[in-house]
Amino acid sequence: MDVLARNNVRVSGRRDRAMVFAHGFGCDQNMWRFVAPEFEDDFKIVLFDHVGAGGSDLSAYDAAKYSTLHGYADDLVEIGRALGLKDAVFVGHSVSAMIGVLASLKAPDLFGRMVLIGPSARYIDDGDYVGGFTAKQIAELLDFLEDNHMGWSAAMAPSIMGNPDRPELGEELTNSFCRTDPEIAKAFARVTFTSDNRADLAGVTIPTLILQCSEDIIASEEVGKFVRSRIPGSDIVFLKATGHCPNLSAPAEVVSAIRAYV
Amino acid sequence: MSEFGPIDDYRDLFENAPCGYLTIGPDGRITKVNATLAAWTGFEADKFIGRRLHQFLNMAGRIYCETHIAPLLRMQGFFSEFALDFETAAGERLPVIANAAERRHADGTLLFTTLVVIKATDRRRYERQLVDSRSELQRGLATERETAELREQFIAVLGHDLRNPLAAISAGARILQRSGALQQQKELRVLDMINSTVSRMSDLIDNILDFARGRLGGGITLHRDARPLEPVLEQVVDELRTASPQRLIETSFEIAEPVNCDRTRIGQLASNLIGNALTHGAQDQAVRVGARTDGAEFKLWVANAGEPVPEAAMQRLFEPFFRGEVRRSRQGLGLGLHIASQIAQAHGGRIEVTSTPDETRFVFTMPLTPAASG
Repeated sequence: MDVLARNNVRVSGRRDRAMVFAHGFGCDQNMWRFVAPEFEDDFKIVLFDHVGAGGSDLSAYDAAKYSTLHGYADDLVEIGRALGLKDAVFVGHSVSAMIGVLASLKAPDLFGRMVLIGPSARYIDDGDYVGGFTAKQIAELLDFLEDNHMGWSAAMAPSIMGNPDRPELGEELTNSFCRTDPEIAKAFARVTFTSDNRADLAGVTIPTLILQCSEDIIASEEVGKFVRSRIPGSDIVFLKATGHCPNLSAPAEVVSAIRAYV
Repeated sequence: MSEFGPIDDYRDLFENAPCGYLTIGPDGRITKVNATLAAWTGFEADKFIGRRLHQFLNMAGRIYCETHIAPLLRMQGFFSEFALDFETAAGERLPVIANAAERRHADGTLLFTTLVVIKATDRRRYERQLVDSRSELQRGLATERETAELREQFIAVLGHDLRNPLAAISAGARILQRSGALQQQKELRVLDMINSTVSRMSDLIDNILDFARGRLGGGITLHRDARPLEPVLEQVVDELRTASPQRLIETSFEIAEPVNCDRTRIGQLASNLIGNALTHGAQDQAVRVGARTDGAEFKLWVANAGEPVPEAAMQRLFEPFFRGEVRRSRQGLGLGLHIASQIAQAHGGRIEVTSTPDETRFVFTMPLTPAASG
């Protein structure tokens, strides 16, 4: 299996040390379009799509493998191995923050630093732990996702895939950054919002920075502080940016926070 | 237009349009809402101002807003035809379909975002029912496929297991015949009957196995050659004459060119068609069998007299397990014609049927060489 084709891996940049960007639930590697180019002079930039998203190989989607975040973390390790990465900087948004944490436990030499943007170790409330959502709300989300097919139809899939860089949006490219097979979208939502990685945080040995947005309803400040308290020696920076996607809404602030850390 | 006050008209169009309007400033806070959306949600218009869109949505909508709508607006500038659920002041769900677009300054800075919502309670319910019924059908289909496969595996195993006892009966009959132990006319007739029954049953089992193989993905495999076909057809007719001594089978064979085919399979096809004619044709009239080469084609036909095939049955003759109206004792499995048509297809050929009060005629046509079939 060609790992780089499977995950639609794009490598650019002018240096040896790599910076790996991992997108979260919802869209694809285009999420980094305002952030990644800023590091091209100083790093080798590695962008990829999780299997099931963007320009990844949908035929590689294996429901059993991707029913836990470990399936995605294994892919991330395989990408790192295929590119011969060592001591790289990992930048993970949303659910990919935890995917990066799991990958760092599997392959401790892969990353030298981690930047987690809007991380949450568990989305569903549990006793005293506040994740922000009830199990019922997540169940409603899974049903709701089926109400938004976003123009997906299996017949047009081949024309959508593989052209994520075209700036002008033809009919077939509309929504393509966030569109995938609805079954896969639902499964990815399920694994994202029902995961519980609280016990994995203590094992992290890599210097880690948490970027916490304000007014983020998906990963609240409380959730971010929890991650900070459980990852030994980690730092947290509170961004002025609001919402869950500062990489799109406030790229300059994200870039300067990452730059200050690495 | 002007005397009616265009400014008032635009304002009215904005406020009371049959859709909801909402504008959001670059800081993500709502700047304007129209009277329609305020009325639909049950909130005063000023309750919206300065707050965020997601505060008026249910939780699923909030997550979707953050993970899809906001990123898409930023990346492509618009997002159309998405479903969303508002939460009304009374705590009820207001399902809508929405379009959103960014308005940007010439220098690229975001000015504001416009959202248009259309009430879609019935439409959304209808779509949900479609999605639900599709999932239900998919589940049903999966179960059905599993059952079908099991059934076909069962048929394959059954066919195999029936062969051994049948071989034992056949061998037993042969021993009795050779030993000369049976002398009386009546005993010899019983022996003949055993032999013809064994041969009929053996054909049935062959059909079952061919059917199961075809269904389980093996398909009908051909071993083609161009050796003379006529002796094979003669042998098939002889066997059927022996099995039905009281019936008349007339033949006319004019095979002038070599026919590239699987001769055993074409023999089986002929046997199935003639067997069908013997079963369903008038018992007191001959079954006529012909074969000839005609240009680049080979034709084989089987005709019988008797009641025509009913129109409804015509459509289904070649379906597996289809059985016409016949005496119970003569009933087969309903696989003969199905297998015959599969053999015809494997040869790039076809079987056509005509049925009138005068005669029912099956005509098999195939190209003389595989290349001619394209």
